[in-house]
Amino acid sequence: MNTLLALLILALPVAGALLCVFLKERSRPAAVVSAGLTTAAAVALVVSTFGATHHAVVGDLPWLRGLAAPPVFGVTIDPLALLMLLVVAPVGLLTVLYSTSYLTRNNREHPVGSQQYGRYYFWLLLFIASMTGVAISPNFLQLLVFWELTTVCSWALISFHQDERSLSAGFKAMVMTQAGGALLLVATLILFASTGSFEFSALSQLPDGPRTWVFVFLLIAAWAKAAQVPLQTWLPDAMEAPTPVSAYLHAAAMVKAGVYLMARTVSSGWAITPQVATLMAIMALLTIFLALSFYFVQDDLKRLLAYSTIAHLGYVLLGIAIGALGAPLGYRGGVLHILCHGLGKATMFFCVGAIAYVTGTRRISELGGLARTMPLTATAFFVGLLSVTGVPPLASFWSKFMILAGAMRLEGAAGPLILTLVLCETLISFGWMLYIAQKVFLGSPRAAADVRSAAPWPIQATLVALMIGCLTAPIVGIPLVGFMGT
Amino acid sequence: MGDPVFYVEVSLAILIVGSLASLAVSGRPRLCGWLSAACAGASAVSAWLAAAGAFAGQTSERTLVSLPQLGAGFTLRVDPLSAVFLAIVAVVAPASAVYSVRYMEHYRGDKVAKFYPPLLLCIASMNGVLVSADLVAFLVCWESMTLTSYFLVTYERESAASQRAGLKYFVITHGATLCMVAAALLLWRVSGSFHFDAARETLSRVMSTQPLVAHLVVFLFFLGFATKAGILPMGDWLPDAHPVAPSGMSATLSGVLVKLGIYGLVRLFCWILVPSPPLAAWGIIVALAGTASLFAGTLTALRQTDAKRLMAFHTIGQIGYICLGLGAGVYCLSTAPLLASISLAGALLHAVNHACFKSCLFLGAGSVLYRTGTRDMDKLGGLAGAMPYTAGSTAVASLSIAGVPPFNGFTSKWLIVSGCILTGLRSPLFLVLGLIALFISIATLASFLKVLGAVYLGRADERRAVKEVPASMIAPQVALAALCVLLGVFPQPALRFIGQALESLNGAPAAAVATGGLWDGIALVDGTPVAFWWPLAALAALLILALLAFGIQRAGKARTRSVPVWYCGEEHGPETVRYPAGSYYLPFKHAVQGVYPAAKLPAPRLPVQVRRLLDLDRWLYMPAAHAIEKAAGGISRTHAGAPQIYLLWIVLGAIVVAAITLGLAR
Repeated sequence: MNTLLALLILALPVAGALLCVFLKERSRPAAVVSAGLTTAAAVALVVSTFGATHHAVVGDLPWLRGLAAPPVFGVTIDPLALLMLLVVAPVGLLTVLYSTSYLTRNNREHPVGSQQYGRYYFWLLLFIASMTGVAISPNFLQLLVFWELTTVCSWALISFHQDERSLSAGFKAMVMTQAGGALLLVATLILFASTGSFEFSALSQLPDGPRTWVFVFLLIAAWAKAAQVPLQTWLPDAMEAPTPVSAYLHAAAMVKAGVYLMARTVSSGWAITPQVATLMAIMALLTIFLALSFYFVQDDLKRLLAYSTIAHLGYVLLGIAIGALGAPLGYRGGVLHILCHGLGKATMFFCVGAIAYVTGTRRISELGGLARTMPLTATAFFVGLLSVTGVPPLASFWSKFMILAGAMRLEGAAGPLILTLVLCETLISFGWMLYIAQKVFLGSPRAAADVRSAAPWPIQATLVALMIGCLTAPIVGIPLVGFMGT
Repeated sequence: MGDPVFYVEVSLAILIVGSLASLAVSGRPRLCGWLSAACAGASAVSAWLAAAGAFAGQTSERTLVSLPQLGAGFTLRVDPLSAVFLAIVAVVAPASAVYSVRYMEHYRGDKVAKFYPPLLLCIASMNGVLVSADLVAFLVCWESMTLTSYFLVTYERESAASQRAGLKYFVITHGATLCMVAAALLLWRVSGSFHFDAARETLSRVMSTQPLVAHLVVFLFFLGFATKAGILPMGDWLPDAHPVAPSGMSATLSGVLVKLGIYGLVRLFCWILVPSPPLAAWGIIVALAGTASLFAGTLTALRQTDAKRLMAFHTIGQIGYICLGLGAGVYCLSTAPLLASISLAGALLHAVNHACFKSCLFLGAGSVLYRTGTRDMDKLGGLAGAMPYTAGSTAVASLSIAGVPPFNGFTSKWLIVSGCILTGLRSPLFLVLGLIALFISIATLASFLKVLGAVYLGRADERRAVKEVPASMIAPQVALAALCVLLGVFPQPALRFIGQALESLNGAPAAAVATGGLWDGIALVDGTPVAFWWPLAALAALLILALLAFGIQRAGKARTRSVPVWYCGEEHGPETVRYPAGSYYLPFKHAVQGVYPAAKLPAPRLPVQVRRLLDLDRWLYMPAAHAIEKAAGGISRTHAGAPQIYLLWIVLGAIVVAAITLGLAR
């Protein structure tokens, strides 16, 4: 039953994607229905396997029969996969729903004609499928396939507008994440050559030397995917994508695949060497501060959010690294942050999309006093902001707090040092984000805010749903991460 | 009497459901207001029952949600100390809510949907702070309180001043909360649990084994609480945030919310930490910080002409008094517990009293703002005739805050100052601090005489038809003013409750402040009785003197005649010739100019070179991409498409291969 549900989660969006190719202009209902069914299946799966671990073998590659120790194709449902599904499926549905009104001729920033629908929903649904594939993959080989599929979809979606800037942004994203993907391939091959297995758990069978290298390669692959220093530069440029795509790919899902890779490989046997874990932690802190330093010069709201995403993925990796160094609480916090940040940041992106839809601009310097005409968007943006920056009682506070509590479990001065750095960053980024939010939404309205039309209901429904998510995510998330890291 | 925690839960539930309900009916402002006021009132009744239960000696504890992974949980507990502050919340919050119903009508562009739901949630989180017995729950409630009050401070969406003040408020207090998060985590590292009891056991132990860590934890907590309480210099947010909030909220903010900082300090210094010599050092620090605040805050208040800003500075000043009392108490907790409880009782009583008179003052300033549209006292005058109830309650509250007997401010200030002076007999520092506090009371009186004189007295402006505010706005003001008088004349019940709260702390005997029946006086006992105050006797003496003066005036048949003022023959309206607030105490104002300097923070900027260095695209990826592109271009040039060139390559290649082969063969 669970296996069937898992395969449904994979198959439904693919079916929807193929349907969209044929339906073309009329593909919106099909897309919403298939994403909705996917979410329903995902929720059913979460309810039926909450806390349990479920493995199933589905198929095999004929030419690997006998070579690879366990058969290659299957599904793994465990708390970590469930947590990813909880981000990927519902936010995916909301993204599709939001897109149905965002990508129309009424969009003042980028009017989109209905002849584009088939292409857009094909890639979007295919992306949902490949993300769920990443989440439920039981081994490296299958993970690699879906991983690269997400890269391809991301390339197509970033370049969706097909002007010069979005084409080059899509190309850049493709090349940089592909460079990381190549190292994931190398790591997989080393693992297969020395152990004869593609399983995640085979990592602990590797001898020390190769194991360090495998983890370094995996780490670089994760950095590239999750836009971490030094491979972070593709993400701000990728903001050329349509805003729902940014919300989904660059806040909730695709970049999370990178940190998910580390979460998955680190927790499979805790075989990561302390040196690599330390490197991961240091680079995460470096990323957090480097991204912070870019906040103050941004004029494009989406680019600001992109840098904030980079910083928060750094938090996830920091938590995982703390877990790898011997404090499981930090690992749980990091994984929880995938969910909490995903919802909060998606809320903010969707708000920026609503602003761009109504006013036609995303430039901070042109906006002001939007709360008068867009009260719901303003509320949602503040909720998302407070959630992302970790103001209690909203979602990200809990994950950050768990990361910090994990850090305090470490020996020596590392804990207090991480605590100090993280709290400094939290305060500065909170202050700046609040300043920007006030500038955009409060104060006296500026010319750009003087619009009469409100955002259509699917956009508003999306924002309401995500606001509720920002408040309630820890209620589901904290018990779920409690099963991990043991 | 039922279980106190149950009543607190009921009150929280009422407030949370009420906030949703008020959001639902926010389209009808009046209904929404009355609904919210009803919720605030119902929750206050429930909180009173909880407080009464705690005073009746029932302590109970319940964990609503447990987070075993963190060693934390939402644990609620009501003890007499929290009960004192719960009672304060339950007095001021409903008064503010009732007041706001009509008051909020004068905001034209802003909807009440932004006011009542956050207000109710803010009250709920204040109650939550007071009953949390777990650091995580405490911090969550604490920051929810900041969060909701931020939205109330920035209520006026399109006013730049509100936005600036709100940003400053939230950023400074969020920083303070993060300090407390750090402290909680440092403590948790040692104790492994976030429960208050664990903190209580651990922190004192750590004080002797790892003093550095313990003092760091105490310092971070102190920073967090003091910022919220408005102790200078961390309390710099306060004079900006109080004036811009809607007056009902200003009253709550000043009357209750900043008090929770005091609650935190008392909880930390008198409950979590056991009396010890290092604690005495913290007592001196708290007392010095308090004295600095009362000095700078009150003197700066003298310079203000904005009525609400003036009151905000007085909040800093009065919180300074409370901290002075607290510091003196903490200082001698280990050496002279009886003396300590005199100062502590003074501090707690002043917290209660301040809640009454300061919220009354803010509501009064709000009423003036509601009718005249300005907070600028230079533009006001002669309102006493038009607004008698507001003028009367403001006068009572002003005399209370200045510490004029027999109003309530006197009793608590008397306790604080006597505590300081008695402590000063052992360590002269407190003698100095006590004297400073005593003389600053005069500045407070001067400042409020200015408010009364400039706003309410003098000739009214006939062209401006000012009416008294509606009854629903008068009632809270009069009720709070009545409370000021009642607490002043009969301080015994309040002191008895506070004594019970002191007993629940670490080693502060309530016997030091001996309260008899309602008709008796209060004696301070430090071994032997050292001081005595009998409000009724003082009241009687004052009445007799007043009657005497009246009688002498009547007997002497002194004639009064009322004539218009002569302005050298020119005709002036009252607004040009009345004595404006800005002209009071001019020489003094010049003298204290430097007491409260203003600082401006520049926006964060990185040097250009660093910015370039951080931009990896600029010096790494883009050059690399261009190099690859160039190399690819170079290679593609070799593919010119001419057969001769390919043949040339083949020949050259053959020669190279032959040469290598020959070389290897040799």
